[in-house]
Amino acid sequence: MPRAIWPLHRGRPRLEVVLNTLSGMLLSPRNLVADSGAGSMQAPFELILTDQDCLASNATLTTTIQLGGAFSGAFPLYSLRIQVPQIGFDRILQVVGVPIVLTGFDGLAGFRFLNRFTYGNFGDPDQFGLEV
Amino acid sequence: MSVTEIRELNGALVDQINREALADPHSPYAGKWVGVANGKVVTVSDTLDETFKELQRIEPDPKRTRLIEASRDYSVVEYVWEVH
Repeated sequence: MPRAIWPLHRGRPRLEVVLNTLSGMLLSPRNLVADSGAGSMQAPFELILTDQDCLASNATLTTTIQLGGAFSGAFPLYSLRIQVPQIGFDRILQVVGVPIVLTGFDGLAGFRFLNRFTYGNFGDPDQFGLEV
Repeated sequence: MSVTEIRELNGALVDQINREALADPHSPYAGKWVGVANGKVVTVSDTLDETFKELQRIEPDPKRTRLIEASRDYSVVEYVWEVH
């Protein structure tokens, strides 16, 4: 089973995703906190990124959605291409664009995204990983 | 037509499609991913991947497109638990 592993960042579980620009160029990997408390399985979004990253990634606007909690208010929901090359993941996902995210991270991977995979520390408390 | 006008047209169209699909489960768009470009429906499919790729092929400028999952109630508040 393909598995991608990343060391924790600031003591939090993290993973990396790759975004594409309009010209097809890859942007540098984005560092996301794995947050199973971000949205439910029924949420319309899988990731939260900065609005700037969404727009740089040739995103198509879906609509505006309402978030509560750590991000409160109305935010744009986009569709854009997301890759995790280590495990061959390459899909179009629904992503919320916010003005700023957590310090030290480029965004959040919500429960709906994490739940696509087997995820966890795979026996090492200093790492986090996704397995297909 | 300006990009601003196209955005308004696209927005009104996807809102109308979603309202109709939410109200009528037999709507042709109910449960589908619908792609709109320049004020018109240009692609409909069962998957986000398929609709997104077809929409980009038809209209490569994302400022002139919209994409919606018809029948989804986007007014539901989704919570992101706060990290302290």
